[in-house]
Amino acid sequence: MTAARILLASHGTPGARAAEQAALSLCAREGTIWHLEVVPDFWKGMRGDDWLNNTVTQQRFGDYVESQLERELAEHAAALSREVLSLGLAYENLSILGKPADCLLEVVSRESFDLVVIGSPRPKGTPGYRSRMKMETLVRGLRVPLFIAPHPDR
Amino acid sequence: MVYTKKHPALLIMGVLLVALAVATDAGLLDGIVGYLKIGSKTGEMTGMSYLFGIIAVAVGAWHMWGKHEEGNLDYYLSSVGGAIFILFIAMIVTWFAAPWVAVVSKSMGPVMGAKYLHDVLGLNYVVLGILAGIITVNVFKIPGWAENGVRLSRLGLKTGVILLGTLYSLAELAHLGKLSVVMIGFFVLGSVGLVLFLGRRRKIPNSMGGVLSAGMGVCGVSATVAAAPVVQAKPTEIAYTIGTILIWGVGCMFLFPVIGHVLDLGHIQFGAWAGTGILNSAQVAGAALAYQPDGIETLKVAEIFNITRVLFLPLIVLWLAVWYVRREETAAGTQVNVGKVVFEKFPLFVLGFILMFALSSTGIFAPAQHYKGKYFDNDIAESKLLTGEDVALLTSEAAKVQSPAQAGALARLIEGRKIANIDDDAAIRGLTNAKVLSKDANNVLKKAHKVVYHTAKMIKKFRQWITWLFAFGLTGLGMQITGAAMRQAGGQPLVIGGVVGTIKAVLSLIVILLFVSETI
Repeated sequence: MTAARILLASHGTPGARAAEQAALSLCAREGTIWHLEVVPDFWKGMRGDDWLNNTVTQQRFGDYVESQLERELAEHAAALSREVLSLGLAYENLSILGKPADCLLEVVSRESFDLVVIGSPRPKGTPGYRSRMKMETLVRGLRVPLFIAPHPDR
Repeated sequence: MVYTKKHPALLIMGVLLVALAVATDAGLLDGIVGYLKIGSKTGEMTGMSYLFGIIAVAVGAWHMWGKHEEGNLDYYLSSVGGAIFILFIAMIVTWFAAPWVAVVSKSMGPVMGAKYLHDVLGLNYVVLGILAGIITVNVFKIPGWAENGVRLSRLGLKTGVILLGTLYSLAELAHLGKLSVVMIGFFVLGSVGLVLFLGRRRKIPNSMGGVLSAGMGVCGVSATVAAAPVVQAKPTEIAYTIGTILIWGVGCMFLFPVIGHVLDLGHIQFGAWAGTGILNSAQVAGAALAYQPDGIETLKVAEIFNITRVLFLPLIVLWLAVWYVRREETAAGTQVNVGKVVFEKFPLFVLGFILMFALSSTGIFAPAQHYKGKYFDNDIAESKLLTGEDVALLTSEAAKVQSPAQAGALARLIEGRKIANIDDDAAIRGLTNAKVLSKDANNVLKKAHKVVYHTAKMIKKFRQWITWLFAFGLTGLGMQITGAAMRQAGGQPLVIGGVVGTIKAVLSLIVILLFVSETI
C-alpha cells in the first residue's frame, strides 16, 4: 500500500519518529509528505499567575519561549526534510498552535490527502509534554485513512 | 490591529449590575439579604453595582455600536469587557456565593472547636473567587471579548499592594521587615542552594537546575519567568517547572489555611509561614485572605514577606546568571550586565508601596499615630463629654477599682468628663474588659472610649478598596491558571520540587512556631 499525498504529524519524540519512518515507507514514488508540527496550546497559559514581573520581563520571557519553540520546530523540520528529499520525495511543512487533533483536522479540511500518519501515544511514565492526540476527536472527524505507527518501546 | 470585539456581553453585564443596584436599593432583595446575612454589604452592593454597571453599559454600547479604529482608545476600552467580567464574578462570589457557603456551613454546626467547616477550609470570597476563575478558564474558556481585559488582574493586585502601604506603622514595618529578611533570606537562599545541589546529584542540566531553583526558591512562576531566558532553559524544562509550581501553589493555598486553623496560628505566624512556605506569590495573598477573610492583618504580614521575596528576585536572577555562565560551555564568555538585570527585574510597584507608606506616615490619610486606621484624639465637642449623670454613676462605683493605673485613669475621666490621654484610654479599656463595674457604668466607659477613639475615614476606604482589589486580582489570576499548564508538571522538576517544597514548608512552620510571637 502506498499513498501519494501523506499528512504526517510529528514533533520529534520516539513515537513520532516511528510515524516518520512509516510515512517514508508508505509514500509513493514522487509523492509528497506534508509535515505537520503542532505547538501545544498550553503554552498560551504558561505565564500562569505571574503578576510580579513588569511588562519588559514578561515580554522577554514570551519572546524567549517563542524563539526556543521555533528553533526546535525548525531543527526538526530540517532533519526530516533532508531525509524526505534524499528519497526523492517532496516535503511541505506546516506549524500550527492548538490542540493536536483539532489542528490535524483543520489541515485535513483545507488540503486533500490520501493518508494521515501519526505515532501512537507514548507508554506511561515516558517524559514529554502532556498534550496528546485525542483519538476520539480525530477518528470521528477524519475522512481520510489513518495509519498509527506502533511506539518503538512497546 | 483592532482589539474591540463587537459583542453584547459587556452591555448585558452592565444592565444586570444596574438591575442589581436598583433591586437592592428598593429592598426587593431583602429576603435574600436576610437569609444570607449580608445586610452590612447592601451599601456596597448598591454603590458598586451602580458605578460599574453604568460604566459597563456605556462602554458596552460603544463595543456594540461604536466605530472601532486602531489606536489607544480601542486598546484601552477593549479591556473593559474582561475587567468587568472578572469584577462581575468577584461580586457574585463575594455577595452571594461565599455568604451562602457560610450559611450552609453554619447550619452543619461547628466542626473544630467553635470553628465552622467553611472557616477551617478557608472557603471564603477569596478562595471561591480563585476557584471560580480556575473553573471559568478550564471549563468554559475565557471568551474572546474578555481575553484582553483579564490581564488587568495583575494591575489590581499591584494597586492593592501599593495601597496596603498606607496601613503599616513604622514599628510594624520595621519589625516585619526584619523578620521577613531573616526568614526569606534563609529559606530563599537555602532552597535555591538545595535545588542546585539535588540537581547536581540527579545530573539534571544546568538550565533546568537554574530555572527550577528560581521557581522553588523565590516567588514561583514569576521567578521562573524572570530566570528562564537568563539560564537558557529549554521549553520542556520551563513547562515542567511551571506545571510543578502551579500544582504546588494551588495545593498549598488550600492546605495552608487548614493546617493554620488546626494549629491555631496567630495572624503574624500564619502570614509569615504562608509568605515563606508557599511558592507562588499570588497564592500567598490568597492563603492569607483565606485564613482571615474578615480582616487584613494576615495579608499585611504575608505581603511584607512577598515584597521581600520580590526584592530578592533581581539578586537571585543575577546569581543564577553568573552561576550559569561559569558552568555552561555554550554561555562561556558571555558578560552578565549586572545593572541591566537588576534594573529590569526591579519591581517598580514596591516603590509605590513605599511612597504610600511614607505619605501615610506624614498624617495625610490619618494622624501619624494611627494604628490600623484608628487613632486617639480627645479634642472633642462639648456635647460629647460625659453628662452629669454619667459622672455621678462612675463616681459612685469608683471605689470598686483596685488597680492604681485604672483608678487614676477613672479619676481623671470623672474630673475632665473625657479620657485624658492615650494611656488612660488603654487603662479604661482594660477596666471595661475586666467588668469590675456595673453594666451601666461599663456602658459609660465604652461611650467615653468611643468619643476619643476615631476611625480614619480615608484608611477605612483604603481597607475596603484593598479587599476588592485583591478579590478582583485573585479571581482574574485564577482565570490564568490552566489545567493544561498544571498537567505539564513532571520529570525531575516534580521530584526535586516536591522534596524542596515540602522541606521548605515544614521547616518554615517549625521555625515560626518556635521563634515567631504574635506581638509586634
